[in-house]
Amino acid sequence: MSPPCDVPAADIAAPATLPNVMQAMQKGEKVRILAIGSSSTLGSGASSKNRSYPAQLEAILERALKGVDIVVVNRGVAGEVAETTAERIKSEVALKKPDLVLWQLGTNDAIARIAPQDFEKTVRSTVNWLKDNGIDVVLVGVQYTPRLARDPNYIAIRESLQKIAANENILYVHRYDAMRFIAQTRANLQLLSGDNFHLNDLGYQCMAEHVAHAVIVSLYVKRTRPVHN
Amino acid sequence: MRAPNEIDFWRGFALVTIFVNHIPGIYFERFTFRNVSLSDSAELFVFLAGCSLRILVDGAARTMPEQWLIFRLEARAFHVYVAQIFVTELAIALLAAAAFFLDAPYLLDWHNASAVFNDAVKAHIGLVLLTHQLGYFNILPLYVVLLFIAPAITLLHRHTAAFLPLISFLIYAWALISGTNLPTWPVEGTWFFNPFTWQLIYVLGFLLAGKDGIGGIARRNHSVLRWLAAPAVLLGAIVALTDFSPDTVSVPEPKLLFLFDKTFLSPARLIHSLALTAMFAGSFKIIAPWIPRFSEYLCLLGRNSLNVFCALSLLSLMGQLLRFIFGGHVASDAAIVILGLLLMGIIAWAAEWRERLRAKLANKPLPPPHSHSPGF
Repeated sequence: MSPPCDVPAADIAAPATLPNVMQAMQKGEKVRILAIGSSSTLGSGASSKNRSYPAQLEAILERALKGVDIVVVNRGVAGEVAETTAERIKSEVALKKPDLVLWQLGTNDAIARIAPQDFEKTVRSTVNWLKDNGIDVVLVGVQYTPRLARDPNYIAIRESLQKIAANENILYVHRYDAMRFIAQTRANLQLLSGDNFHLNDLGYQCMAEHVAHAVIVSLYVKRTRPVHN
Repeated sequence: MRAPNEIDFWRGFALVTIFVNHIPGIYFERFTFRNVSLSDSAELFVFLAGCSLRILVDGAARTMPEQWLIFRLEARAFHVYVAQIFVTELAIALLAAAAFFLDAPYLLDWHNASAVFNDAVKAHIGLVLLTHQLGYFNILPLYVVLLFIAPAITLLHRHTAAFLPLISFLIYAWALISGTNLPTWPVEGTWFFNPFTWQLIYVLGFLLAGKDGIGGIARRNHSVLRWLAAPAVLLGAIVALTDFSPDTVSVPEPKLLFLFDKTFLSPARLIHSLALTAMFAGSFKIIAPWIPRFSEYLCLLGRNSLNVFCALSLLSLMGQLLRFIFGGHVASDAAIVILGLLLMGIIAWAAEWRERLRAKLANKPLPPPHSHSPGF
């Protein structure tokens, strides 16, 4: 990780297996990633489209996993709640046939005051559908922003995401913790743009690095895990 | 104004449902029929629009010269297009005002609006070209396309009737098999309602509303169709209640054919929607005497559907903002629904009052009963 984005691994994610990505890599096939979600996926606040986190992630993963062809498709729609994204995921998956889905979610559901149990039901059912389809899924959590840090809905949605990831045993990127660590230890660094909500270019760079770190560590854990006969 | 009828009744019903469903998380969402149905009010609405086109073509416009009919339908398409641009602009202003006065910049993101503020040059071109659509404001662009092709549907039906269902079905099948959809721009993606596939349910509404051809066959065999529809309706309810969705691994290519996809109107959703229609067609006469006032209210909404649709789009957005401000409680949600339905009724009533006043001032008789506008 670059010095401005460096955070303890525990603040990013607990590794989880990504069997389908591994399989594609072992076969020497192209790894197709669908990045879906809202404004943080779209890249609102970035200076250009290639500064969005999915665009940067593709370059980071290709650099780190030498020889692996990675294709990241960006399907971010700003301001979308999980229920609508869940509708879109189905046709996107049928058409793009990804090995991995990165689903960034939560903030809009908190703002729209979606009941956490309804949010949980939607996410869980879509995650299970993706698993049944043989697609790895990574949940990319809500960002740290002082504006919403104390909002009870925001806290509840963040807790829901943690619960879903733990119960479903899937990779969950603790974006909130990673960003808070940077905010608390490097106060001179600005990850947010002028509105104090959307990420700026550095914020997107860190987001891409954190997601890439979580994916690579999960692949590495899988690779080095002893094989039981 | 025309007398209460089945199409207006169900259109009013769809409008009420859309209003509630467009406020995500609202308590009363759980009572809308999509919770026990594979298809939802979007299918019903587009189907009824097709029915209305047929009633116009076979009724008021029957003797109209074709060039006039084409002009009338294209003018209607333009009218709906203007409504879409106007309502979208009001929604953008509403979000901007909320973000500004509530000091909540994240509201500028809602419903795909952020490009309007962050990528204004491209987004404004996209708004006019309908390639940039706000979330929940994406049904009217589909209607614009459907009304734009309505003259082609009408002329094909008049001159080579057998080709209309064939061509419509082939376009549907091609879009499903190839995964073709219209692109969005500047935000990379595709239309939420794919016009290539959704045109089929519009054409089916057009065909089934006729007294001859497929419509005639359906009318003559309605009781058989109702029996055939019952298992499909039941299956749709089970699918919705169990949240079942087929997985792409177990289904063969082309996968969109077997999924329950809304954007592409997968066959399962289409069949379910037609089954619902077969099941409930004609039930207006049974339902209306039981709930006369409410039935009149739904017909009032249905008669003025474009005005009401535009209003409900904005009212549902206001409802979302109110939920953001006050939180999602049953009491406040009830107030939002009651107020919204009341305002929808007032807007429909005002539209009719204006028409009556205009007719009175022009000293003209009122429009004949049962005359229909195409689509809305």
